[in-house]
Amino acid sequence: MSRRALPKYLFWVLLALPAAMLVSGFWNRPEGVYPGDFLHPSGEFSARLIILALVLTPLSQLLPRSRIVRWLLRHRRAIGVAAFGYAVLHLVFYVLDMEGFGNMLAELGAPAIWTGWLAFLCLLVPAFVSNDRAVRTLKGTWKQLQRLAYPAAILTLIHWALIHDGLVPALANFAPLALLQLIRLFRFTRNRTNPQRSTT
Amino acid sequence: MILRITAAAALALAGLAVSAPASATGKMTCDAPQAKWKSIPALEARLKKQGWQVRKSKVDGGCYEVYGTDPKGNRVEAYFHPVTFEKLLVSRRGEVLFKKK
Repeated sequence: MSRRALPKYLFWVLLALPAAMLVSGFWNRPEGVYPGDFLHPSGEFSARLIILALVLTPLSQLLPRSRIVRWLLRHRRAIGVAAFGYAVLHLVFYVLDMEGFGNMLAELGAPAIWTGWLAFLCLLVPAFVSNDRAVRTLKGTWKQLQRLAYPAAILTLIHWALIHDGLVPALANFAPLALLQLIRLFRFTRNRTNPQRSTT
Repeated sequence: MILRITAAAALALAGLAVSAPASATGKMTCDAPQAKWKSIPALEARLKKQGWQVRKSKVDGGCYEVYGTDPKGNRVEAYFHPVTFEKLLVSRRGEVLFKKK
């Protein structure tokens, strides 16, 4: 990794690259390949980007000198917005695959489905306030709105676990996030009860 | 130090998750000898006659697994016995709509 900061737009291009490949794959899909076949990769990218965005803070507390973590932390907004972008793509593939709102409504009651919708709604809010103007105008509320990413992550985990036998891969993907957040919580409570102790 | 090791373990686990292979789902298993299986196209033809729309079929756990629309218009995933073509399980997004007793 170069020590010089990667220009912002280059990072965006990097994040958009898999999406471009998915869309072109969809456009040029052979017969027998359905929009539904693009659900898994688009959803997985979204979930992994949510996880990445949420592990950066606890990672930076554990590894304060890590250059990669600091570098990623600077691009966290882009990572979060990209997570939402992949969720949108995921939803588009879903709508195309279901061929009509009747079909979508019919399965809305399935836990595997409504958890996905809720996760999407949770992501929608932080994505829309991910700009400097919103930071200025919303002040203290902004941080709270961004925290909707946590319920979004939990709902995504449930959605993934319930849909198509995804329990093992979903848990494996989310384990690092759960672990790092637990460590963060542990350190936080320890520092609160025993402020003299160092955290290293 | 322990925390760093834990973080490294978490990252290793993530790496493992990325490379984990897909395998049988275990939702339904059939143990008929493969030599006796009838063909997937035969199953699809029979289902279409019964009013199903079939998108995809494959083998899962020794059964035939079909993705499509059932005669009632539900988008489902269904399991059939590879020899008798008996309907074993129909589910929609993990919700069981039918299960053979």
